[in-house]
Amino acid sequence: MDKIRRALLGQIAKLTAGAALVPLSSLASAGINDQPPRREGDPSKRYAMLIDLRACIGCQACTVSCHIENEAPLGSFRTIVSQYEVEHEETGDIATFMLPRLCNHCDNPPCVPVCPVEATFQRQDGIVVVDNDVCVGCAYCVQACPYDARFINEHTQTADKCTFCAHRLDVGLLPACVESCVGGARIIGDLNDPDSQISRMMKEHYEDLMVLKPEMGTSPHVFYLGMEERFMSRPQAKPAIWDVRTQEGEEIGYEFDGH
Amino acid sequence: MNSMAIEVLTPRYGIAWYPWAVQYFFMIAVSYSALLLTVPGLIFGNKNYQPLARVALLVTVTCTLVGPVALLADLHQPLRFWHFYANLNTQSWMSIGSLLLPLYLVMVLAYAWLAWRPAMQEQAQEPGWIGKLSGWISMGSWQAPRWMLVLAGLGALAFAFGIMLYTGAEVAILKSRPLWHTNWLPVMFVLTGLVAASGLVVLINRLMTGNDEEINRQGLKVIFVSMALAAVVAALWVSEGITGFSPSVEAAFESLQGNAEWRMVAIYGLAVGIVLTLATIAMLRRPGWMTRAWIAGLLAVHIGWTFRWMVLMEVQTVAKNTAGYYQYAVEAGSSGLLGIVGTFGLWLAALLIIDILVPWKKGLQAGSH
Repeated sequence: MDKIRRALLGQIAKLTAGAALVPLSSLASAGINDQPPRREGDPSKRYAMLIDLRACIGCQACTVSCHIENEAPLGSFRTIVSQYEVEHEETGDIATFMLPRLCNHCDNPPCVPVCPVEATFQRQDGIVVVDNDVCVGCAYCVQACPYDARFINEHTQTADKCTFCAHRLDVGLLPACVESCVGGARIIGDLNDPDSQISRMMKEHYEDLMVLKPEMGTSPHVFYLGMEERFMSRPQAKPAIWDVRTQEGEEIGYEFDGH
Repeated sequence: MNSMAIEVLTPRYGIAWYPWAVQYFFMIAVSYSALLLTVPGLIFGNKNYQPLARVALLVTVTCTLVGPVALLADLHQPLRFWHFYANLNTQSWMSIGSLLLPLYLVMVLAYAWLAWRPAMQEQAQEPGWIGKLSGWISMGSWQAPRWMLVLAGLGALAFAFGIMLYTGAEVAILKSRPLWHTNWLPVMFVLTGLVAASGLVVLINRLMTGNDEEINRQGLKVIFVSMALAAVVAALWVSEGITGFSPSVEAAFESLQGNAEWRMVAIYGLAVGIVLTLATIAMLRRPGWMTRAWIAGLLAVHIGWTFRWMVLMEVQTVAKNTAGYYQYAVEAGSSGLLGIVGTFGLWLAALLIIDILVPWKKGLQAGSH
């Protein structure tokens, strides 16, 4: 990616992070693929997450605790920490970059309007959830998500995704990933409450916050602090993991044989 | 930034739409395209196009019956299909499709029933179980007026345009996959559908109706015109990327640069397209070659199907968030190879059952009497 484009994307990222703070509820028109009205949840709140990448050590405790809390099938993840090895071309110095990924609970979630049965919806507190009793498993939402945050759960045969652990938030607990984060990198809270930790941190670091794939116009509500612009969209990186093959070309190094 | 990044850890994201989706998109596109081919002969009553309409109607009915079966199979648990009607969300293209599809199916069946009915009534006079069954299916000996056939045909046609629109829009609205997110995709679906449907008509003409020259000529003409239009559309799509900013074209070039497999496929696609177009020209110009039209037909079906395979399956192997491409190998089971073969098997069964029960080669209601 050339420099100008990267700089432009960086600007968009910062702008989008700012725009997310302006309520988008004024966008109301009834056309095909428009957002349906939000329902359920506390209308006075707007949950969001701030991830302080400076404090992430890539231990995957969030990945594991989420997996246990939400009983995702082996090989499918509601959250994961992508890890990159970055090598300085001149000095040869190596650094590791950690990027925790999860549902961005966007203000303009592209997964919601595509659902043919309104099984997936956005709560009034901003959390995007799936009603598994209604979901038909068509996977249209999986296609629509630009962040690969959704998958078809092979046990339930319905769409599955991060819910910010809504079942825990609703009873006053923290999400599993936040609770287990060793470095305290994940901060969840209510953006409508000016005294919440996330609101204070967003005010303090406003200039440095970034979101993933701002060019998609989704207005993500997971904000990254200490983010590198080159990882915002599909990273320009060498996919080392796919090179793990035997001489016959058979892939090794993967335990899960799922689809 | 003078540094190089290697992606060390990332999960494997599976394919969300299985080959069933390809089968549905293929079957339904052949269905609505073959329906278009019946229009001059059946609805307008143009005698020159009636042999073509006869074969095209058979193709329409068989593909209309089988397409929705493949679609249901892609739901992972097909019996949940009733949720579509219990929880309507008319803001979703897929929901709109779930309303259009059954109505289209009913209209196509009504259209075919009215077209085949006179021959069925004739067959009902014969002794034996086929005669008896024909009597039941034709529901009495009253004569259906021609306006009923025209009305059913126009109704089917109206819903066919709805199907064209929704199947295209459903995929093209997805911003998350830039390769799909272009207005040219729905147009391309229709054009390649016409290519495949005409190919299948020519092929069936060789196998079941004695390689009628007029059907071959008309089929090849439709293939040629559709291929030429497809080339124009492809050129417009690329020029949109060169002159302005089209994320779809940009994503395509990125994949071509970064992936040798994609380059091979692009070259292959281009080559097959050119070969088919040249073959149709050659066959239309040299009368002796017309008897070999079925070869072009086979190639046309191949192009129509492979285009959908590339668009729906291969695009899913482009990682959205991570570096590189996913490996996708077709599974042997029902969500893979068995599903593909099974859909074609079901289509063949439908074709043979109709061939046994319906004297579809005889004069259609449209003109011969």
